[in-house]
Amino acid sequence: MDTQSVANEVIKSTREKQAFSIIALIRNEYFLYLVSSAAFVLLWHWVAKEQILGKSLATPYDVVKELGRLMTIKLAGKNLFGHAWASTQRILIGFSLAAVVAIPLGLFMALNRTVNAIVKPVFDLFKPMPPIAWISIAILWFGIGEPSKVFIIVIGTFVPCLLNSYNGIRLIEPELYDVIRSLGGNRRHEILQVSFPAAFPAIFAGLQISLSIAWTCVLAAELVSARSGLGWIIVQGMKLTKPELVIGGMLIIALVAWLTTLLVSGLERVLCPWKRHIEGL
Amino acid sequence: MAYEEVKVQTPLYLKILPVLSICAFFGSWEFIVKTGIVPSTMLAAPSEVIKLFIVKLTDPNPDGAVLSQHAWISLKEAGIGYLLSLLVGLPLGLTMGWFTTVRGLFRPVFELIRPIPPIAWIPLCIFWFGIGLWGKVFIIWIAGIVPCVINAWVGVGMTNPTLIQMARTYGASDWQIFTKICVPSALPMVFGALQIALAYCWTNLVGAELLAADQGLGFLISMGRRLALPQMVVLGMVTVGIGGAVIGVLIDAVEKRLLAGIRR
Repeated sequence: MDTQSVANEVIKSTREKQAFSIIALIRNEYFLYLVSSAAFVLLWHWVAKEQILGKSLATPYDVVKELGRLMTIKLAGKNLFGHAWASTQRILIGFSLAAVVAIPLGLFMALNRTVNAIVKPVFDLFKPMPPIAWISIAILWFGIGEPSKVFIIVIGTFVPCLLNSYNGIRLIEPELYDVIRSLGGNRRHEILQVSFPAAFPAIFAGLQISLSIAWTCVLAAELVSARSGLGWIIVQGMKLTKPELVIGGMLIIALVAWLTTLLVSGLERVLCPWKRHIEGL
Repeated sequence: MAYEEVKVQTPLYLKILPVLSICAFFGSWEFIVKTGIVPSTMLAAPSEVIKLFIVKLTDPNPDGAVLSQHAWISLKEAGIGYLLSLLVGLPLGLTMGWFTTVRGLFRPVFELIRPIPPIAWIPLCIFWFGIGLWGKVFIIWIAGIVPCVINAWVGVGMTNPTLIQMARTYGASDWQIFTKICVPSALPMVFGALQIALAYCWTNLVGAELLAADQGLGFLISMGRRLALPQMVVLGMVTVGIGGAVIGVLIDAVEKRLLAGIRR
């Protein structure tokens, strides 16, 4: 890209080359990225080294060393990749279960008033309840095994999936329907050729929201009770008072969560090239 | 097809169905518990939840506090953390949207913190603050700050470029453009952030209290599980849900008042 956008103002970077100066350097965004990252790591190192927060913060070097150690040795039968996969697997199962049920249901609710009148009130009862509040009841119902964790993820991701596919159809511009009607389309054409494609970007936005909620849910569930997963690694670090393990676990979570987000947006780019910005979502 | 008059009135059955469906939901819930299809150790009937609700209004047993006290503790934690996150997040996000220097300095750290679910901070919080008030305030602060920064940033980014160029032409300084044009035009997005952040704070509050607390609604839920009292779990969940709904309605009303004259 040879343009850059600040507050929507497009600045073409084709201007003539300026002489090197200190002022230009400290105004350069990428240089500042470097400076602030370095400052952050140094500050972190200093705080940990001087033990300003007691023994509860590990130096960045310790964290990296601990991560390297975790890749080779096994904790509870799994190395680091095993635990990361355990968490990701729970998310994928719960996430796809919820999406498969919630998206069609949302579409149905938006297209059919009778379905809407039946499902909406019950859905509205559950909507404001944080998914994490379900953990206790999930453990009562399913024990502490895999099903209870998947259940919480399903509950958590269900709401944004349904809400977005519902709103995605309701916020379609009526002009689009007018076009297909004046071209002689019937109700089936309206749904297949206008409603679904136009709601697609909103559905994907819902999937992205769901994904971040799913990560919160799976961590909460693993922190409460688990024998594997990244949340379990953090808990282990807490129980053994090893801050390097806790911080290492957090960094890996950030990495994996970021990777899954990339995956969904990549999928969106492949499946939905007509994506546009939708007002009000 | 000839022009038809638009019907404004909804048919009668569409008005009755929602009521019926709610009734059916609670009816079947009561029914499956009372007849023992789902054992009462796993789920409590709605009538029992209401009974416990009335008892818990006055009786601090067996979890050490009456319901209003739990709710007050939760509200206090959520409120403090939320306000702090607004105080830090909104100015940070707004300035990150406009000033390259601020963006350059804070973006790497922000991008590092952003994908970490706030729940993951709990163990570190327990190390740093113990299980008292401030540990939970910290988690809620972390939870609230991310949507605040993102929305304020995007809001500034969506400023109409024509307005900025117009101000430049009239000789406005960078700071004047920021305060007079970017901030007002980011307001609708900022209000969106208020709501998202609040919902997010409330979710994470429950998580924090499940793990590290001795009072609060999340603690009520986890005590219900430990004492194998499903009605207590459900009561906690319902209270949390009502709290979330009430807060959402309040923010909506405030937003409508303040944003009455601003385009959306």
